[in-house]
Amino acid sequence: MKTVLAIAMAVALAGLLLAPATDYAYKAGGGEACARCHEIAPQVEAWMESSHREVRCEQCHHSGMLTNMRRVRDHWAGEVPAKPRMKHADVLAMTERCRSCHQQEYAQWRNGPHSVTFESLFLDKKHNSERILMDDCFRCHGMHFEGGIEDLVQPVNTEGPWELKRADLKNTPALPCLSCHSVHRTGQPLKGHVRKAGISWREEIARPSLALFDRRSLAPVALGDLPLPVVYEDERPVKMSPDQRQGLCYQCHAPLAGGQIKSGDDRTPMGVHEGLSCLACHDHHRGTTRTSCATCHPRLSNCGLDVETMDTTFANKESKHNIHWVKCADCHPKGVPPKRVSSSSPRLAP
Amino acid sequence: MALEKVNAVVIGAGAAGPIVAKELAVAGFRVVLLERGRWHSPWECRKDDLRNQRTNVLGNAFGPEDEGNPRVLVNQQGEARVLLPSEGGYNNNAACVGGGTLSYGAMAWRFHPDDFRTRSRYGMVADSTLDDWPITYDDLEPYYEKAEWEIGVSGDDSGNPFKGERRKPLPMPPVKPDSIEHQLLEKAARKLGLHPFHIPMLRNSVPYGGRPACMRCRWCVGFACEVDAKCGTQNTVLRTALATGNLELRTRAMTKEILLDPGGRARGVAYFDENDRLQEQPADVVVVCGGATESARLLLNSRSKAHPRGLGNNSDWVGRNLQGHLYTGAFGLMEQRTYDDLGPGASIAICDYVHGNPGLAGGAMLANEFIRLPVQFMNTRPPGVPRWGLAAKEFMKRNYTRAIAVQGPTQEIPVWDARCELDPEVKDRWGIPVLRMSGGRHAHTVEIGEYITYKAEAWLQAAGAIQTWRRGGGRGLSGGQHQAGTARMGHDPKTSAVDANGRVHESENVYVADASVHVTNGAFNPVLTIMAIAYRAGEHIARELKGKGI
Amino acid sequence: MKRRSFFLVASGALTGAGCGHRRSAPFRTLSESEAATLEAWCDALIPSTDGTPGAKEARTSRYIDIQLTRRFRKFRPQYQQALAAIEKMTGGRFTEISVEERTVLLEKIEKGEGDKALWGPDGGREVFNLILQHTLQGFYGNPRHGGNHDYVSWRMLGIPVVPVRGRGVAYGA
Repeated sequence: MKTVLAIAMAVALAGLLLAPATDYAYKAGGGEACARCHEIAPQVEAWMESSHREVRCEQCHHSGMLTNMRRVRDHWAGEVPAKPRMKHADVLAMTERCRSCHQQEYAQWRNGPHSVTFESLFLDKKHNSERILMDDCFRCHGMHFEGGIEDLVQPVNTEGPWELKRADLKNTPALPCLSCHSVHRTGQPLKGHVRKAGISWREEIARPSLALFDRRSLAPVALGDLPLPVVYEDERPVKMSPDQRQGLCYQCHAPLAGGQIKSGDDRTPMGVHEGLSCLACHDHHRGTTRTSCATCHPRLSNCGLDVETMDTTFANKESKHNIHWVKCADCHPKGVPPKRVSSSSPRLAP
Repeated sequence: MALEKVNAVVIGAGAAGPIVAKELAVAGFRVVLLERGRWHSPWECRKDDLRNQRTNVLGNAFGPEDEGNPRVLVNQQGEARVLLPSEGGYNNNAACVGGGTLSYGAMAWRFHPDDFRTRSRYGMVADSTLDDWPITYDDLEPYYEKAEWEIGVSGDDSGNPFKGERRKPLPMPPVKPDSIEHQLLEKAARKLGLHPFHIPMLRNSVPYGGRPACMRCRWCVGFACEVDAKCGTQNTVLRTALATGNLELRTRAMTKEILLDPGGRARGVAYFDENDRLQEQPADVVVVCGGATESARLLLNSRSKAHPRGLGNNSDWVGRNLQGHLYTGAFGLMEQRTYDDLGPGASIAICDYVHGNPGLAGGAMLANEFIRLPVQFMNTRPPGVPRWGLAAKEFMKRNYTRAIAVQGPTQEIPVWDARCELDPEVKDRWGIPVLRMSGGRHAHTVEIGEYITYKAEAWLQAAGAIQTWRRGGGRGLSGGQHQAGTARMGHDPKTSAVDANGRVHESENVYVADASVHVTNGAFNPVLTIMAIAYRAGEHIARELKGKGI
Repeated sequence: MKRRSFFLVASGALTGAGCGHRRSAPFRTLSESEAATLEAWCDALIPSTDGTPGAKEARTSRYIDIQLTRRFRKFRPQYQQALAAIEKMTGGRFTEISVEERTVLLEKIEKGEGDKALWGPDGGREVFNLILQHTLQGFYGNPRHGGNHDYVSWRMLGIPVVPVRGRGVAYGA
């Protein structure tokens, strides 16, 4: 009996010592300690070459004692996924951590359409009564959600009333930072002040972090692997800006198979704005564009119309002046009058 | 302890079961539908090219699970081997709500009128059990139409002169035939004087049934559709049936046996519920829709004094004549790139070689293939190209995006010895005896398949292929996802297991309503015929029940 | 700093006895030398000597290593035997000899001409096919399982990693 007790005491004591020691082993030494676990070595290696290498593992990855113990257990039990990845909750928590350094980007994103919440996306009565929800919605909306559409919304039909099965996600942004950014991407750490994005693709560098979270493989696909489509107006290939960053936009704002302009969710510019990059007018974080017209059209449009009050938006489907597709001939069916704009007006890069 | 009695218990929620259940539920009868699998969402597979229902090297995405579902296969040399569901030779079909229709390629063929009367057309083939169906194409035509409109078929077979009359066109136009492959093959077929047309598919080309149109991704056959554009039983008739309130679907419910009175009448079924507890479900009628292999297994496992060798098996016709399709065809390499990433890929077909091939008792429809993912193409090569090394990689690199495959399902000559029976020893995880499969294809089936490869090759050559090679088939046991024939329908109880309505000859209230009843399996993918037979059986059973005042 | 090092050593001794400081050997089931042998084997099956990525770049040996912890667990003895056998055939130099030399050896195994004492009654034919299929899967399959690193094979084939694909109603048209 005494021996049993002694062994039990020893085990308990070892446990008491072991737990904090394990925990400390993870936290101390930055990535080196994390990498000691074989499974995450590739991730740690990638991180050490990334622009975020000065950020320590536990600054982004939850590293409570219990979590670390669970990691040890998974490691010994061989239950580690083929590719370790962040859970949905961790992805959401990351957004706040990104904010601590990238405050301006955070503020812009927060005020723009890309910070839309699960509630406003998935409980939209007009949408849901017209189009049935499906798993493919998650390709662009709430891509980190772990489950099928029936695990998020009930009922899945066009009658409703709809409610979120996961009420906790109600006010959660459906497109967090990690939808379009991958932290472990190769790159140089930011040094000092970076010039604000200009209107031209030449002036902005494609940040190495840009990557779409591909829900199918549960992994980010780097910008270089996101194709720029060939978009057609009937048979004619529309002139496209070579700005690679658009690869990210086109994953969601995409034409239907076959690539016809205006099909599906396509917004490729055609006509007077043909060849412009999405990023020429859209600030990627903020998404709003109205004021950007003034960048190229300081006073008035080429036609002398006040761009601030024109019906140019995409939302207005009947508009003749939809900024994406307006052609000279839409307003000048008898031919375009000679140009009145002075030669000093700023020119756009392609 | 027995559960509350219902009017009908239907076993299997695959291509057939939900249709029978829906017909009965809509007619006001109380129905229990038992499915051994469960509901799956596309989230669980997410276009995993190594773990789906077609390429399962890392497992089946939609069942059955490898653990606890063995089968025994006896090969041509007579050696028996225990197989897992993800191993070749198991002749697997998905075990989930929707069955194969959740992840199929979804070709929606009506059989040719002569497919129902092969023996009359060709005479008896030696060493075979070739026979006519007890029903004709015309008997089934209204039910084909019902399946096409209720479940949803796109396509256009108006350009196909080799088909039975249809009273109504298909409800949806074909998916836009704009792929490079389609255009090359269409031109070539016309040049050869053939009759190409748009494959009918259980796939939305336009919004239909409250679900959207196909977005034309490259992952189709073998995968569940994230857009829900593929029309299976799980997103059509099953929803309708559940909405009536008359149907109860029980998933993870493995049926053990049909419970029989000494006289041969069924009281109901015994099944293991989701907690592996044995339950008894009494019913007025039992309808077996488990697929040709599992339906046969259930009948063989259901014994009584009157049926010592299994229900319906007093004349030894249950489990016999197992058949699927011999897929043969050809590959061609083009000068130009043909890969354009426009799914589903399969779009164009010809029926010129379905019947009337000189000296042959059958034929096959020929069609281009679904998009082949790299893992599905990596073992494809013409003779002379090595399997590995630089040359193998070079071949893939050069030709993956320039290859076209054309193939077709040769109608098989049924064989008495191609069979499944109960294994005397091996049991599944519930202790139910599993199938032991043996036998192989008729030699003439292989001859027909060989003939078809030349036709496929000629088509590809006419399309401009700079290199072609043919792929024939062997005599191994056939079944797979097109499995059929194990409880043949016929008028004579001595040469068939069920009557023309699917009722087991030896029992007044047990029906089989899936591909088991096929006498022959057509020169086409069989699913629309399975659906039509289920509609017909469902309607008949509803009429019977009403006639008895139930 | 000193205190931290102490804790590191102490905790390392307590918890990481089996792990060690091996960031450069990210394998789960294979030993360092087995992994190297397998990599050399895979490299001969899909070489990168033509300047386009091969099994090494795609990390097919990692795919196999990961799957050996799960789906391919039952193949572990075959792998161990085959990797040991091929090293024995070359006096432990399999990873050092050229791709051409490895190819010659593997062609023998493919034909079942391996020494039966080393390779079993089929002369290595079955295990060769097994490793070939697994290598092809790791090269051409989805990266989610640990191979096809950075989509190297899909890019080589010229297919988009992810397609551009919209759906739904058309605007304006």
